[in-house]
Amino acid sequence: MIWGTIIAAYLFLAGLSAGAYLTSSYVARKYPEAKAVRITGRIISPVLMAIGLLLLILDAEAGLKHPLRFIYLFTNFNSVMTIGTYFISFFMLAAAYTALMEILKKETNKYVEYAGMLFAVATAIYTGFLIGVVAAVPIWNTAILPILFVVSAMSTGIAGTMLVASFYDSKAVHRMLGVKKIHLGLLSAEVFLIFTMFLVTSYSNESAAESVATLVSGEYSTIFWIGLILVGLVLPIAVESFELYNDKKMKETEAGIMMAAAGQGGIAGTLVTESSVLVGGFILRFLLLAAAVPVPFL
Amino acid sequence: MARYGMMIDTRKCVGCYACRVSCQMQNELPVEESFIHFYEKETGVFPNVKNEIIPVQCQHCEDAPCVSVCPTKATYTTEDGIVLVDEDKCIGCKYCMVACTYGARTQSHKTGVVEKCRFCAELVKEGKQPACVSTCISNARIFGDLDDPNSDVSKAIVKYNAKPLRPDLGKSKIYYVR
Ligand code: SF4
Ligand code: SF4
Repeated sequence: MIWGTIIAAYLFLAGLSAGAYLTSSYVARKYPEAKAVRITGRIISPVLMAIGLLLLILDAEAGLKHPLRFIYLFTNFNSVMTIGTYFISFFMLAAAYTALMEILKKETNKYVEYAGMLFAVATAIYTGFLIGVVAAVPIWNTAILPILFVVSAMSTGIAGTMLVASFYDSKAVHRMLGVKKIHLGLLSAEVFLIFTMFLVTSYSNESAAESVATLVSGEYSTIFWIGLILVGLVLPIAVESFELYNDKKMKETEAGIMMAAAGQGGIAGTLVTESSVLVGGFILRFLLLAAAVPVPFL
Repeated sequence: MARYGMMIDTRKCVGCYACRVSCQMQNELPVEESFIHFYEKETGVFPNVKNEIIPVQCQHCEDAPCVSVCPTKATYTTEDGIVLVDEDKCIGCKYCMVACTYGARTQSHKTGVVEKCRFCAELVKEGKQPACVSTCISNARIFGDLDDPNSDVSKAIVKYNAKPLRPDLGKSKIYYVR
């Protein structure tokens, strides 16, 4: 593996950070009363992105020894990494500003927030394009991969925000059915995208077929099926569906309506789902990097 | 301006590693790092099998993917078509390693810079041959200007109908007789 665990963590954190920012922007508009969730999203977002960037710097050994060289990162506009560096820089500025305003309890300038949202999306897309443009590795080189990464970024963003927010405001987390529905949709889309990608690429390319084989039946099959599919996707899909179903039922009885309104019920469900989504998000990126089979040249 | 390239006759190559060692000396590489990798490939069905030894190094691709992905412009193509890495710009992000189809790049353990075959640019400038070419014990390697139809390398490529490893993957400048 040329790019290993560290880069997987960087891609994961960048996506998670972008997703958390978008989650908090959405929640701020849709559920103004859910302050805990909004604040959480806004604060974890720049922090996670910063950790991600630190990891990237750690992995770039020559730059680590000569930090001034990182300035050159902004120079090659043909390189997705250069474009991504701009996206991340702008996103980081906006996210740090938004977090600061939240801490100072001041009004956030809405244009800065719009810019932040835009660059959050751009950052999430970039993490997919970074490896998506590599023609030497057919399993990456598909149009589906960036979409998959964006969907996963949003879903991990929601998960990360909800997980942290649930520690100090479990009620708010429970009341946000809209977010739960979006989350369920994203997770289901992810399953669909993963298998579509595997199917389409393995039919069109032998190296990609090899990559898919190492994932579904080879070296990485255990972590793929148990870690990504079962824990990362099926489990949260099941729990979220169950909660949404339960909620609908609750509304049919008087006591239930009162309970739902009060946001009762433990946070166990939230903890399990959101953590497993996060685990799955990291595993997804790790596996895609690990299963890279380049085109044969001999 | 030239367009430097090479021809490697795998039928002549005996797999003695002399080129690899001379390259390591020329580039002051430690034993575990090298710019030339040896591959073996068996083709045919018994008893008509052919075993090829194929030395592979940077193919100095035209429109090289490593050049376009390198975010710092540390990797660049000279006017003479040689793909080089500017050590003072490389951050060691390894994007070029990921993008190279030929597995031609190695990261230096000492500096973290990602390096590769440079067609011995400094020797070529003095009118000399790259170290691997002058060292080859069986003259399996020929180096020269691909744009000059009268150069040894151009003539040999025509004569032996030499081809790049994967012409379908883009234009590279090392031709192989197989
Ligand atoms: S062989 Fe690899 S390192 Fe050499 S020019 Fe082509 S892509 Fe770049
Ligand atoms: S490792 Fe160095 S040469 Fe390779 S892409 Fe990164 S900065 Fe460029």
